[in-house]
Order: sequence, then structure tokens, then C-alpha cells
Amino acid sequence: MSKLHTLALKYGAITAINLQNQLAYIWDAFHRAFFIVVVMFIFTQLWTAVFQAQGVAVINGLTLANTIWYFLVAEMIEMGKFRHDLTISEEVKDGSIAYTLVRPYNYLAYHFFNGLGETVVKMGILFVAGSLVCYYYAGPPTAQLSHLPAVFFSLILAILLDFCFLSMIGLLAFVTEDTGSFRLIYQKLIFILGGLLIPIDFLPDWLQTIARALPFAAITYAPAKLFVAFSWAEFGQLLTGQLVWLVLAGGLLYAQYRWAARRLLVNGG
Amino acid sequence: MSIVKVSQLGKTFRLKQKAPGLWGSLQAVWRPVMQEITAVHNVSFSLEEGEMLAFIGPNGAGKSTTIKMLAGILHPSQGQASVLGYTPWQQRRQMAYHIGSVFGQKPQLWYHLPAEDTFRLFARIYELDMKQYQERRDFLVEAFEIGHLLQTPVRKLSLGQRMKCEIAASLLHRPRVIFLDEPTIGLDVIAKQQIREAIRTLNASENTTIFLTSHDAGDVESLCRRVIVINHGRIIFDDRTSVLKRQFLRRKIIDVRFAEPLEEPFALPGATVLKQGSYGVKLEFDNRTLPVEQVIQQLMATKPCTDINVSDPAMEEIIREIYQEE
Repeated sequence: MSKLHTLALKYGAITAINLQNQLAYIWDAFHRAFFIVVVMFIFTQLWTAVFQAQGVAVINGLTLANTIWYFLVAEMIEMGKFRHDLTISEEVKDGSIAYTLVRPYNYLAYHFFNGLGETVVKMGILFVAGSLVCYYYAGPPTAQLSHLPAVFFSLILAILLDFCFLSMIGLLAFVTEDTGSFRLIYQKLIFILGGLLIPIDFLPDWLQTIARALPFAAITYAPAKLFVAFSWAEFGQLLTGQLVWLVLAGGLLYAQYRWAARRLLVNGG
Repeated sequence: MSIVKVSQLGKTFRLKQKAPGLWGSLQAVWRPVMQEITAVHNVSFSLEEGEMLAFIGPNGAGKSTTIKMLAGILHPSQGQASVLGYTPWQQRRQMAYHIGSVFGQKPQLWYHLPAEDTFRLFARIYELDMKQYQERRDFLVEAFEIGHLLQTPVRKLSLGQRMKCEIAASLLHRPRVIFLDEPTIGLDVIAKQQIREAIRTLNASENTTIFLTSHDAGDVESLCRRVIVINHGRIIFDDRTSVLKRQFLRRKIIDVRFAEPLEEPFALPGATVLKQGSYGVKLEFDNRTLPVEQVIQQLMATKPCTDINVSDPAMEEIIREIYQEE
């Protein structure tokens, strides 16, 4: 077996086991599906009212239907992403990191591929269930099939970038007792500057400029916007932002990992 | 040739101290007081291939910290160690293919999935080919008697059943050195015996080196010919188990309940009465000068007994004796 093949089998198995694990929680999936239906229903009502009150069909380039589908993708990313930062800090707290850190794989890659198994299931369910509401109120999505690979690529970069940030928060557990506050701040930033509360296009100009330059938009906004209003120009712009932030965050994460691994304190026993 | 070599190994932690209460918490934020704690101090020893070593000591003595340094999880503050020629904390990944570890209080199997799913995952992680894996699994299934458990979700297993699967999972990749940290904690007598038996089999058939920490004198006696006792991060005893037993495990404690009340204070020459109630008595004695059977005979002659419990003194007692000896 070639080295590459062995690696593919290894990380593939790590993804597969969490996929299996997610299927063991099938009720959890129904719960999630129900939740996205409620959330999308509320968003639909809210934005329908906004567009009516404004008396326009298009706000800053987005139609009502665009806006509704935009929120589905944004919510899918937020609710469907994996929370391995919690797993890492749990591992440090209960000491099971004594197992997970000393296996022959890259510890961070382990968490990435493990999370992937979870995220595929979660996002799949969220998208399918949420689509029903969106389709009912907004009709089919306007995305062209030929653009979907590009959108998908941007989604993968978004997941990777989010993984880097959450890893940095998770690794703080190696040296500090509680990472909850960092997580909370990060979440709120995504909420406001990442386009989860409101599409970045609807923000005042000055705030838009700031938000577009920050990495939070590269996580939620980029894939969602490209899904509803694709243009190659914006794809180029957003992709550049995603790649630049990915290189920066990846480098920082690597440095932090090397630093933190020497300082790990394991609780218990 | 030594397979594990440890010299002058030490680990100090800096711990944040906090006074009790809200005010203490505020002070700790404003001006944290750090305290240096030496968990392991100048520990040196070596292990030969195929040796089974017990590493014992009271809670907080530095056992787990030492194991975690040898397994590559913690970086030491000073000293050197080599395991199979690797420096654990620097060559963690290369070393990982050849060592196995079991932490009795921590789970590694996927809770909602059958154990075999985790086994297959480990087969991939340790890069076993499927034929190798199946042979190995069959061997372990027999050694641990877990054939009927592999298809059941782990959450439905009893603690004893789960632990047998946990340990088997750590052995799938044929590690040459195994670190067992309290592998039998909380288990009943039968499960303990099965696990000890399986470990013995493994050691005999594959010459696996075993590094065991346990609070259970039974684990130590039945598995290991050599014992290291560690206390406050320092080695205070390193010799054969038989020496430890002869010198320090000679005291026994007997707890008896009688069917009828005792009329007068109980006395037995050579034994100390630790506690006496109207229906029971607790004795401590030296097993060399006063054999257990003799004590039991005496007790049964006194009154009809409803319950007799013979035990070894706690680890702390043994350690106190080692100190007194010095």
C-alpha cells in the first residue's frame, strides 16, 4: 500500500466513525430539522415584512427570495459546523486527551476529519429540511448548476477557516481553564460581522468595508452570498479573502499548536 | 537491553492559587498567586524487554505524571527518558505505533457505537492491514473473552465488560510496551482476574513489556515481579515484589462479625485490637509471627462467626512502613 493510500484510509476511517456516530443520534437529527424549519419560518416572515415596508423588490442587489435562501445557507453553516473546540477542552478537562494525543496521526487533522463526518450529516439535514420552507415561500433557488462547484469550494474553505479559529480557541484549553468566553466572543463576531444576523450587503457602507476585510465574512457570508447571487468578480474577491485568511490563520494555528503542546497540563489521576 | 530508560526525570507545575470565596476569585484575577508544585522529582529507573513492573504510590504521588511523560503527552521539566529508543515527547507519533496505553478512568471507545467499530477505526489509525487486524482481534477476543460483546453499543456494557474491551482496543496494534494506569479500578473480582489473566497471557506469548500503576495490591502481586514505590514524586522503593511483601506487606487486617454478642473485651496475643463493638472486632497482626489461619481458628473458637473479612493494609500504610524502615 502506498503512503498516500494508507493516509486516505486512516483519515477516511476517522471521518466515517463520526458519520456512524451521528446516525446513532438519529433523534438529534429530527430535532435539528425541526429547529431549522422554525428558524427559517421566522426569518421568512421577518424579511417579507421588511421588503414590504420598504416597498421595493431589491435591496442592495438582493431580492426577497435571495435573502431567504441566503439565510438558509448562513444558518446551515453556523448550526451545522462542528464544535471540536468543545471536544478539545473536554478532552483536557476529563483527561482523555491522554488517549487522543498519543495516537499516530496529526492531532489537529484528526479533529478536522472527525468533525467532517459530523458536519456532513448536520449540514445535509439542515439544508434539506430548511429548503422546504424556503421553497414554499421563495420558490426554487436561483443558483445555476455550473456555479455550484465554485460555491461548494468556497464552502469548504469556509469550513477550513472556521476550523482554524475554533482550533485556536480549543487549544487555549491546554493552558487556560476555561475557553467559553473566547468562544462566545467569536460567535458574536460571526453573528454581526459574518453576516449571520443581517447580510453584509445591507450594512452601512463603512461597516461593510470593515466586515468584508475581516475573516468572519469569509466563513458565513462568502458561501451564502455566492449561492444566491453568484458573479465571477465577487467569487474572485471573496475567494482571495478566504485564502489570505486561511494562510494567516493556518500559520498562527501551527505556531500556537507547537507552543501549547509543550505546556499542556492534564487534569486528573 | 533496556527498553525503557529514565534518568533524573522531573516535572514541576505552576498552579494558580485562589483564596476561597468571591473576594478570593477577584484577587486571583487581579493578582494571581502561582505556586510551583513538584509532581515528579529526579526519577531514574530502567526496564528490560518483557519485564512487568508495578509503579505504585498513594494518590498524587506522581505515578500518572510519570506515565504521561513516558507516553509522550507531557513534556518533562528536566531529565531524560527513552522508550524503545524514542524520546517520547519529541517522537510521539513514531513511538505511538509501538506503545499502548490504558487509562482505567478514561474512556476511548465510542460510547454509542459497538466496540468493534472503534477497533476498526484503530486498525486504520495504526495502519494494520485487514488480515493482520482480524487475526489480532480474534486473539484478543479469546484472551479477554469478549466475543459476545463486540456488536453491542458500548453504553450498554457493564463497567467490567467495557474495561475488557477498552484494554483490548489498546492492544490491537501489538504494542511492545504497554502502560496500564489503574486498569482494574472499580471492577469486581472476576473481571479483575480475567484482565490479569489476559495481561499475563500477552506477556508470556509476546514478551510484551508492562508498566502498571495500581492501587490494588492484588494486581501488583499477581502480575509483577518488580515494584517501584513512588511518594511525593520520589522513588522510595525499587526491588522485587517478594521483597516488598516480605518486608512491608506482612501485616493483615481481619474484620469479624459474631452471631452472638461478646461479653468481655476481646484479646489475642500478638494481635492489636483496632476496634471492638458488641458484635464485632477488627484486628491487625503480623502475618509472619501469627498466621492468618491461626487467628481465624481462634476467632471461630470464641463465638460463631457470621462474617470474616481479611484485608491488606492500605497503600498509605505500606508507604509509612517503608519510611519507618529507613
